Amino acid sequence: MTIVIFGGAGDLARRKLLPALYNLHVDGLLPPRIVIAGVGRKPMSDDEYRAFAKAGVAKFSRRPIDEATWAIFAEALFFVTAGLDDEPGLAPLGTRLGTIEHERGLNGDRIYYLAVPPTLFAPTVKELARARLVERGSGRIARLIVEKPIGRDLESARAINDAIAEVFDEKDIYRIDHYLGKETVQNILVMRFANSIFEPLFNKRYVDHVQITVAEEEGVGTRAGYYEQAGALRDMVQNHLLQLLAMVAMEPPHSLEADVVRDERLEVLQSLRPIEGASVDAQVVRAQYAAGFIVGRPVPGYREEPNVNPQSRTETFVALQIYIDNWRWAGVPFFLRTGKRLPKRASQISVHLKEVPPILFNANPSARLDANVLSIRIQPDEGFSLGICSKVPGPQVRIYPVKMDFHYGSTFGGTSPEAYERLLLDVMAGDPTLFMRRDAVETAWQWVMPILDHWAQTQDSLPTYPAGDWGPPEAERLIESTGRRWLAP
Amino acid sequence: MARTVAAHAWRASTPEAIELDLAALWRQIGHGEAAIARAVMSNLVVFRKHMDVPDAELTRVTANLPLDEVAARHPSRLIVLEHSYDQAAPGAPFAAGVGIVTFGPPQARYGVEQIVVRSACAEQSLPSILRRLVRGDVPTTVWWTEDLSERPPLDALITIGRQLLYDSRGWRDVRRGVAALAPLVASRRVDLADLNWRRLAPLRQALIYARGPLDSASWQDAEVRVLHGPGEAPLAWLLAGWLHAGRRNADTSIARVEPSPGDGPRLTVVTGDMTAIQTKRTVEITSGSAPPLVLAMPIESDADAVAAELRVLSRDASLDAALDALMRVYN
Repeated sequence: MTIVIFGGAGDLARRKLLPALYNLHVDGLLPPRIVIAGVGRKPMSDDEYRAFAKAGVAKFSRRPIDEATWAIFAEALFFVTAGLDDEPGLAPLGTRLGTIEHERGLNGDRIYYLAVPPTLFAPTVKELARARLVERGSGRIARLIVEKPIGRDLESARAINDAIAEVFDEKDIYRIDHYLGKETVQNILVMRFANSIFEPLFNKRYVDHVQITVAEEEGVGTRAGYYEQAGALRDMVQNHLLQLLAMVAMEPPHSLEADVVRDERLEVLQSLRPIEGASVDAQVVRAQYAAGFIVGRPVPGYREEPNVNPQSRTETFVALQIYIDNWRWAGVPFFLRTGKRLPKRASQISVHLKEVPPILFNANPSARLDANVLSIRIQPDEGFSLGICSKVPGPQVRIYPVKMDFHYGSTFGGTSPEAYERLLLDVMAGDPTLFMRRDAVETAWQWVMPILDHWAQTQDSLPTYPAGDWGPPEAERLIESTGRRWLAP
Repeated sequence: MARTVAAHAWRASTPEAIELDLAALWRQIGHGEAAIARAVMSNLVVFRKHMDVPDAELTRVTANLPLDEVAARHPSRLIVLEHSYDQAAPGAPFAAGVGIVTFGPPQARYGVEQIVVRSACAEQSLPSILRRLVRGDVPTTVWWTEDLSERPPLDALITIGRQLLYDSRGWRDVRRGVAALAPLVASRRVDLADLNWRRLAPLRQALIYARGPLDSASWQDAEVRVLHGPGEAPLAWLLAGWLHAGRRNADTSIARVEPSPGDGPRLTVVTGDMTAIQTKRTVEITSGSAPPLVLAMPIESDADAVAAELRVLSRDASLDAALDALMRVYN
């Protein structure tokens, strides 16, 4: 197996892909014969690439480097200089790969990882075909991995998908949403469908509402060029948050086959009630971070960040009230929020069950009991907890909300595999369960588009929130107007 | 719950790396043969003003506080914020440490997280530290260990919590202490919990038992004197505030509060022919020819008291009313 990483000397490769491959190597999960070829425009020797990779692994791997293990891994690393603009295109890449594979006894099965900007997806795929690196019916494996964002709207997403589909069959296309590779996200299905206690409660009869929070502590950093064109709705909601929503709200699949699971996730997206016109103002809050503090340090506002338009109207925070119009979830609100420069990096899903009736222990209207909440902590404090009311020991009947807490760190010890480890392994194994199918990507875009269109026509002032706060007051009002409150991770 | 500390794990950290270092500590102690459960029923934010302790010995900022004992009784994510008011140029927090204290026998161990942050930040930036560290799914209490009468609590900090816990026993100036709490009583933004107020409970109970509810005729025009022992002026004033708030007649003057001559008991209440005396061990009431009424003071350590307050999830209306009455009198 050969893994070809376009953008092999880029940030994603350095921070995520190469450390993930190294850890798979340490765990003995890579195929015995493997080549990892970084591809980039700037010339770099194989040895220089190995040094680049080692520095990345040393800094970002969940495990420290073991020199003997590294030495074996490094032998599989190569770098090929190639660009799309030159006349030979990717032909030299094919020649070099052919040589390396021949020398190492590989059969030409390949995975092409496009760790490049989305604008290069279609041209790269086209060049792969022109250089005859991908040929349908050749009998060799040729799989493609693409990163989000797949487009910046429905039209551009379709254009990218069409271009890719000209070269690769859908079964060979792996669209990564790395959230789906996280242990805790995979555990959502296990928790729901491997226990008899939860699933009977996951419906409109028992669930009052669901919250999904994906909070980032970082500001826009060096990504202003991309982020100015994207914003939080495109960058986070269209993919990560809707995928989390689909995982928590999907029906039980009849098997764990990839397309069966993906069909159920798609059903949820297709059941989302559209938010259009005036409903956008009522159900969606967008905002931008202003100057504030993160862990006591002053940080600038979004408009003061490098390469950001001082008049930018790009949203760095979104909160939404969503409904899923199916039998299971009819009338149950799902509150989603995500933003940059929030107090901490944390992703959490909380399922809030309905209150007990206002009798017996819940009879005092000024001291209502806490409802039971199932909190699924996606990151960083992986695990889940169930809040239940319990009597405080003593002669009086006093009630306190206690936690039944499952905590990966203290339960299993060690570190969980990174999402990219699981996802790369799945691509090698040909299992697309944790990847997004074309129809899911386009359905998500279709649902998001009326919100984007409405915003494009609106010139209302954009609310702001101080960096280090949990969002603007408008987001508090969005949920408090329904008699509920955000649960901070 | 087991009350004996089994082990302390501790490592130096930085404010930015606190969660990562805690996760590493959990993995480290989770690698043992027996499973260890993380116990967390609330966030307990402990405020301390700057202490003369080197960064390398940051655990010493928790000296004289029964934090392990509180953790054993009511496991909380403990966040000690040691803050320096007097930095000429406030900057970012400059030191941190994380720990896990474990309790229980090997087959049933549980661990409680402890975080210490040494801060020299501007006041308005302190919430950004705490928002990052508190868990949102459990109640948060801010325990103000400093003298509120010397310096009012930092508004930016206390509203992070649901409850403000303090001990008025150490107040040097009762009037200023009450004034510091006035905005919180008025706004009802946080529930107040005074450890000293707990010490009054038996006496309050005994007075009502002996003479009837405060709004009954027997209390309305009665003159009351409260004498207090050394260091117990806040307790005496709390009692006076409580008596004043409970009486129907708003024109009644508040009880006279004065020190006991010599080394007198903690509190002595005199009204008409009734005398109530609270010592460290008992409350005793004598009234005319009736046989004396004697109640034992509950045996409660500071850790017991703090843990008990952490379990209270509602306002103490009587304390609010007593403070409100004192404010009106002082104004």
